[in-house]
Formats: sequence, C-alpha cells, structure tokens
Amino acid sequence: MNREISLERFAAIVDAYGASPMRWPADERGAAEALLAISADARALLDEARMLDGVLAAAPVEVPSDALVARLMAARPRPATPVPAGKPRSIFRELISAIWPNGSPAIPAGALAASIMLGIALGSVSEIAVLNGSQIAAASGESEADERLIALALADIDWPEEWIQ
Amino acid sequence: MQEASDDKLVAAVARGDGQACAVLMQRHLGRIVALARRMMGNQADAEEVAQEVFLRVWTNAEKWEPGRAQFGTWLHRVAANLCLDRLRRQRNTVDIDEMPDLVSGDPAPDQRLEADELAARVEAALQQLPERQRAAIALSHYQGLSNIETAEILEVSVEAVESLLSRGRRQLRTLLATEKDGLLRSRETSA
Repeated sequence: MNREISLERFAAIVDAYGASPMRWPADERGAAEALLAISADARALLDEARMLDGVLAAAPVEVPSDALVARLMAARPRPATPVPAGKPRSIFRELISAIWPNGSPAIPAGALAASIMLGIALGSVSEIAVLNGSQIAAASGESEADERLIALALADIDWPEEWIQ
Repeated sequence: MQEASDDKLVAAVARGDGQACAVLMQRHLGRIVALARRMMGNQADAEEVAQEVFLRVWTNAEKWEPGRAQFGTWLHRVAANLCLDRLRRQRNTVDIDEMPDLVSGDPAPDQRLEADELAARVEAALQQLPERQRAAIALSHYQGLSNIETAEILEVSVEAVESLLSRGRRQLRTLLATEKDGLLRSRETSA
C-alpha cells in the first residue's frame, strides 16, 4: 500500500520532475497519483508543470549524422587476423623450400650486391662534392640572410606545447 | 543479434564483430547524441562527444564486466562527464558576448511561434543554466533516467538531484515565460 504524501511534497515533486508520473520518484509515484485523483490543488500544480514540459519538448532533436556513424564503423575493433590458408605453391618454390627451409641465402646476398652497384653508379654521376671548412664558409658567407636563418634554426626556441605532445 | 543484450553485444564488439558494433550504435548512439546536444547546445559538439564515448567503448570493450553496471547508464555517465569537462574548459575561454542571446526579437503577443524559433529559444535557455542543473535536467527530464541513476551519474545524493532539477526548472520557467504564455494561448485558441 502506498504511503500518503502531502500537497507540499506533491508540489516539490512536480516542481523538480515535471508533470509526467514516469519521471517521478518510483517510491512516491503511487502516493502522488492517489493525491492527484482527490485534490484539485494537486491537479492545478500538475497543469502548471505540464505547461513548462510542453515548452521544453520543443528543444531541437537531430539524429546522428551518417558521417558520425561511418567514422565510428571505420574505427571499430577488428577481429584478430587469421593465419591465411597457404596458397598452392609452384613446384619450383617447393624445391627451393626443400633445399633452403629458411630461405635461400642468395636472396639477401643478391639484394646487397644490387645496392652496392647502385651506390657506385649514382656516386659516379652525382655533382655532390665533399667540401672543406673554408669552402663551406665561402659558400655560406655570401648571404647574411642565410646566416640568420641558420642561427634561427639553432636557437633555443620555446615550442608551443601542442607541437611537442 | 538485434535481440542480444548489451552485455553480449559488447563482448561481440571486443571480438571485432562489426554487426554488434552497428546494433550497439543503433540502440544507443541517438540517445547519447541527444544528451550531449542538451548539454553542449549544438550538434557538432554533441557528435564529437558521442564519437569520443563510442571510441572508448571500442577501446575498452574487452574489459567490460557483464552484470556489473547497466551499459546504457555507463554510457550516459561517460557522456555527461565528457560534456562537463568540455563545458568547464569552454567556460574559461568563451567570451561572455558569445553566449546565446535569449531575449532578442521577442515575438509579438499575437504572433505564432515557429517551431524552429521555439526550439532555438528552448536550447538557448538550457544553455543559460549552470552546468550541473543542465546536466540534471538533460539526464532526468530529457533522457528519462530515474532520480537514482541521475544521482549516480552526477555523483551526488538523490536529494541534491531534486534540488538541481527544481532550481533548473524554476530558472527555465522564468527564461521561457513568454514561450509558455504563447503555448497557453495557442491551446486556448485551439480548444
């Protein structure tokens, strides 16, 4: 059985929670509805609260944008990547694999040799030269603006915090 | 999948089940955007908050303990706290002149308020409430959470929630007096 509540308490309930019994405290809802059934004063208070509820219901409502849903779906967790089922290998690859189970040593050796050859070839045609100290000074001393730029680059600058993070 | 509990969906999200992610968003994203909209006062910020909430779900899904808390209430708690944090940061930077103007262009008494104009006025009035009163009204009035759930989310007593709601509604009644009278008149006219 519901305990009774006073008109004063009823007023406090509708003042805080509005006119809809669904929003009232669950343990007082029954008593408040019972008072409402017998009290004209309670009904007047309810009408007043209902008016504000009606205005508040006009607050704008927008559904989530498609872009938001798409961003969240793109960022969702992914299942752990399963180990791919082995593709049928050619007879040649099967043979290589049988001879060198850990891979042929010819492959990294070949890559290293190719890198060396490429380095030599580029070095022979490049205009890059090794300059000594005085040549650097001569080359860079031509412009004060250049010096200022270098000094600026080497200065102890207070970087904005967000750049560091 | 549509009928699965939130707990089961979160477990499936942790396993990388895309359909579970979609159902969980279908079930909760709109409500979280709505809560953030009431708190932040604009859709762009509301969607940013909602995005952050769900990214936390994606990241922490495998740590979720079924039965320990209501998933929906937990989402509301995360969203409300993110909103309050943002509002605190904004309060320190926003110029008072940039606050929404509620009183400009009061409609003539016989002028019927357009729905979008009324919506904008209600939103502006909500933005004038102190943050915790606004949070209480957003959670209790708009989201339909119980006074106990609202108290848990705001980490205050039920009595404190009731006080926040009362003060908030009283201020809204004052701020929206014109709109309330307009609504009353339109009802009398249509009766």
